[in-house]
Amino acid sequence: MRIACPHCGLRDLQEFTYLGDASPSRPDGLAATESAMFDYVYLRENPRGLLEELWFHNAGCRAWLAVCRDTLTHTIQSVVPANKRKKGAAA
Amino acid sequence: MDKQETSIWRPRRPWAGFAEAGQIGESREPGITAVTLEGLGFATLIAGTSSEKLERATKRLLGLDLPREPCAALSDTHGLVWSGPDQWLLLARKRTGFSDLLVSLSVDAAVSEQSHGRSALRLSGKRVRDVLAKGSMVDVHQAAFPVGTAALTSFAHIGVQFWRTQDGPDGAAFEILIARSMAGSFWSWLAASAAEFGFCVTIDQA
Repeated sequence: MRIACPHCGLRDLQEFTYLGDASPSRPDGLAATESAMFDYVYLRENPRGLLEELWFHNAGCRAWLAVCRDTLTHTIQSVVPANKRKKGAAA
Repeated sequence: MDKQETSIWRPRRPWAGFAEAGQIGESREPGITAVTLEGLGFATLIAGTSSEKLERATKRLLGLDLPREPCAALSDTHGLVWSGPDQWLLLARKRTGFSDLLVSLSVDAAVSEQSHGRSALRLSGKRVRDVLAKGSMVDVHQAAFPVGTAALTSFAHIGVQFWRTQDGPDGAAFEILIARSMAGSFWSWLAASAAEFGFCVTIDQA
């Protein structure tokens, strides 16, 4: 699999580190309940199809990327810098 | 009391103990030549929310524009190489005046001196691309990687930054930069990969 980094161009998978689903956002640590925090840290969907996920280009530009990938076919629809992503774009 | 030399620390060249002048591998006409680049100044520049002020400063102090894409802007004395979004590598061919330059630039960027933290080589020759292709997934073909292009990638799991400079008399030329602590590992990969083409090594005595 190759990912088209918006900064560096098409690069091999081994240059990247996977984080996972991009959608969870951290609950406010002071106000969060234990179960909300547990959800955020441990619980993930395992969808079949499109998923917006976070990848880190550690051997390249060292930027976080939001990658919209089909988990069934590995087809990548879009890659944008994580700080420019629209939340919930894949949903 | 007389000042005595008590430290065990001694200056050491960036490729000392690894690169030695001579030819490695095939003894015919070398297909690739390496020149160690020594005595250069390096620093990383990171612009905060806006890099326009930094751009004006580099233009004024160095006559160079900040590259906005993976490119290297090089003059005879200095260079600015794209190193990620809003980050650049500053290089100076000589360290004279380098610390003053960094002080001037620190007004508009977070500056980190890296002169002793990097090892640099100039690689050139007819087969230089064949050697780079063994290590990198980046396409360095003439058409895909013209003079001035830069890339951040990894060779044999070692993080590298490299860019293409003006062609030399022996063909395409690249300058390549690695973390100094990885110089030994990198050299071992390079020497093994370049040997089949005839690998000529020159140590810069600067």
